[in-house]
Amino acid sequence: MSLGVSAGTVGRIAANVFKESVRDKVLYSVVLFAILLISASYILGELSAGQEIKIVKDLGLAAISLFGHFIAIFIGIGLVSKEMERRSIYALLAKPMSRTELVLGKFVGLLATLTVNVLVMSAALFIVLAISDAVTDPFFKKAWEAPAVDPALLTATGLILVQLGVVTAIAIFFSTFTSPVLAAAFTVGLVIVGHFGADLKNFEQIVDSKPLAWMARGLYYILPNLASFDVKLQVVHGQPVTAGYVAMTTGYGALYVATLLTLASLFFSRRDFK
Amino acid sequence: MTAGRLPAVPVLVAAAVLLAGSIGLQVRRDRAFHTDRPAEHVLYVQSPEVVRRLALSFDAIVADVYYIRALQVFGAAQKKTRQAKDYELLYPLLDMATGLDPQFNMAYRFGAIFLTEPKPAGPGRPDLAEKLLLKGLKANPKKWEYVQDIGFAHFWGSRDYRTAASWFQKASEMPGAAWFLKPLAATTLAQGGQRSAARMLFKVLAESGEVEWMRKDAERRLRQLDAMDAMDALRRVAATHRSRGGPAPVTWDGLVRAGYLRGIPADPDGFVFVLDPWTGDVRMAADSTLLPLPDEPPPEHQAVPGS
Amino acid sequence: MAAIETDGLSKDYRIGFWRPRPYRALHPLTLSVESGEVFGFLGPNGAGKTTTLKLLMQLVYPTAGSATILGRPLGDREMKRRIGFLPENPYFYDYLTAEELLSYFGGLFGYKGADRAKRVSRLLDDVGVGGERRMQLRKFSKGMIQRVGLAQALINDPELVFLDEPMSGLDPIGRRDVRALILRLREEGRTVFFSSHILSDAETLCSRIAIVVKGHLTASGSLAELVTSTVKGWEIVLDGLPQTPAGPALLKVTPLAPGRFAVEAVPSVDPAQLARELAGATGRLVSINPIHDTLEDLFVQQVDNAASTDRFDGGTEPNREKSA
Repeated sequence: MSLGVSAGTVGRIAANVFKESVRDKVLYSVVLFAILLISASYILGELSAGQEIKIVKDLGLAAISLFGHFIAIFIGIGLVSKEMERRSIYALLAKPMSRTELVLGKFVGLLATLTVNVLVMSAALFIVLAISDAVTDPFFKKAWEAPAVDPALLTATGLILVQLGVVTAIAIFFSTFTSPVLAAAFTVGLVIVGHFGADLKNFEQIVDSKPLAWMARGLYYILPNLASFDVKLQVVHGQPVTAGYVAMTTGYGALYVATLLTLASLFFSRRDFK
Repeated sequence: MTAGRLPAVPVLVAAAVLLAGSIGLQVRRDRAFHTDRPAEHVLYVQSPEVVRRLALSFDAIVADVYYIRALQVFGAAQKKTRQAKDYELLYPLLDMATGLDPQFNMAYRFGAIFLTEPKPAGPGRPDLAEKLLLKGLKANPKKWEYVQDIGFAHFWGSRDYRTAASWFQKASEMPGAAWFLKPLAATTLAQGGQRSAARMLFKVLAESGEVEWMRKDAERRLRQLDAMDAMDALRRVAATHRSRGGPAPVTWDGLVRAGYLRGIPADPDGFVFVLDPWTGDVRMAADSTLLPLPDEPPPEHQAVPGS
Repeated sequence: MAAIETDGLSKDYRIGFWRPRPYRALHPLTLSVESGEVFGFLGPNGAGKTTTLKLLMQLVYPTAGSATILGRPLGDREMKRRIGFLPENPYFYDYLTAEELLSYFGGLFGYKGADRAKRVSRLLDDVGVGGERRMQLRKFSKGMIQRVGLAQALINDPELVFLDEPMSGLDPIGRRDVRALILRLREEGRTVFFSSHILSDAETLCSRIAIVVKGHLTASGSLAELVTSTVKGWEIVLDGLPQTPAGPALLKVTPLAPGRFAVEAVPSVDPAQLARELAGATGRLVSINPIHDTLEDLFVQQVDNAASTDRFDGGTEPNREKSA
């Protein structure tokens, strides 16, 4: 059975999303990031001999994740709802395309934007780390748990990107059937809950009630487990993150995104544009 | 190919299949890798002041989160899924929770109980329990319960009965304090270290504990004391049996047949005691829910049994 | 072959938050538009014109009924390749230039490279915004956006074009241009289905019209059928009369100047003979004109009828087009 989704159409919609985010100066966040990182590392370098590498890594990875979350949530919600609100969707849907392709195109386009964002930010992080490395006395380096320019950081940023994909899908999912304000509230809420997912899993260690523990376990599996994409600490402390973990977590992210986009397409396809 | 409304049932089935796939992957991943992360979190910022500022106006919620993490550290360690060193985070987490929410009663009281719990079931840090409770007392000077709990930490944790008694006394003098504190202080001073003193402490807690969890814990402690009394009695029975020339090896069946016991003895939770056939020593069943038993002070500090 | 056919197409919206109740935006509508005609879909604001177009574009789904466009079901991808649509008060991505917008839409039809660039530039010239092709749409006036909207509706050389209020927001020159464009589309053999609340547009452009009021189809047919089928009467102007003319055949007498009168006579008389009788010895005939229904008369009459008789009746009677 053909799903009636043309990769070309999805690609063209995605390209337009990317163009929009460039024109709306989303990528300026990268510049802000670089300034933040460089100034922070400069100040910290004055404060803590030798430890600033760890702090720069912490800060850099946290900022990549945070900037990405902002973009994914707020642009993600606008992608579909702005088309409806401003009625640009009227002319668009009269073209030979389906609403599913619109949903997928919007997702792919924002994911592309986020990919560029994460890549450029990672590059900036590596440059700052390389400079810090070059100016640090070798004596202090002995105390480091991981080298400054550590390729393992890419594992962390890679999983952040998958995480941002899930966040984007959540934003698009909600924006296909609620108002932008509600969609933003739901998305932010679900993302926060998703980051505390692991706490739900361990709920049975706090409560004795079996049904409550089961419910918590069920929620742990159904809600997006965003915490599982977060390997920042392991990477910064030089602990290994295995390829198996990365592969399974990425696979999990992909399936979760697919679930959300399938439901989003269903809801969107049944919506009246009054 | 017609666009338009997607058919609900097939699409929902597809979404369910995808979600099931994602759950399956999660289950497999969680089995293959240890992803119980919250307790492994390094507390990056250990200052409640800084976190309070970072938490904006959500400090109460953030305090709850830290408290829940502390519970998880304790709970996980109790279930032996974790090494004892994991208790290192317990105090900083509680300190954070109470720093963010200085009126966080449960965090002080439960926290002190966790911290007092001797190794290996707990971190065995009555000193930190006292520190936490003193901090709580500073924020809530009228809480006689905290003073009582400091006494408890000394009693159960560091076995310093004199100090424990003085804290109980101090608590009893505070306005609104429970009636039992005065006799408790006296008993502790006179019979500290004896099971009778501990029994009184837990009896009081089991009857008057303000939270069900505390009452249940006290009841369990009482059952532990019962088990310890029972083991002592059984050891004496075994010794008497041997001294009267009973045959070795000693077995429960043998003791029952010899008329010393009416049946095979079990601890209050129903686990049959283990009798060493050669030495006559009595132990708890390895899987008893009452384990681990609290350490008792060395016998020289104890009053002579039966005196 | 019919370009558009609807069969009992209707739409209810639910309004109200606490106790939603259906509001019938379009009563069951049955009409057909023939290939090659310019069809005017007329009605006052809020009559259901845009709802009908949204139903046809599958922007909303019908409560009941069905429709085909170019013989294919609504939403059909092959059908959408062959149609164009200009929404009412269109809005396009304002971060794009006119050229980029048309390239984007052209791409959705699968046009590529030089072919697409040529198409885009020709269309922008055609609608008169060729000079501003590199300008971001956020800087465009309403009229210019309307022109861009027309261009995007034509990007794929459609056989059938849907225009929702194509004249709105345009200055007189713009309206003239759009009128010329629609006539050219007709000459090229394309079918045009346009909605308007402005009647003069329809009178000069349409081969057939339909009138909707409050969600009901109240009239449809060729202009000739609806408007000029009957002469409503005769207007005769006479000069040099000694006194005000009178007679049983006269409906109305209007004095224009001393001795000069305009009279309206019933349609059944012979106007030439009546003029001679009224003129008598001294009078002089100035002009005789037949009085026709104008589209405006028809329109006003339909709206009045609807206002007086239509107390939301739940749409039990079908909204059927009178057979042409």
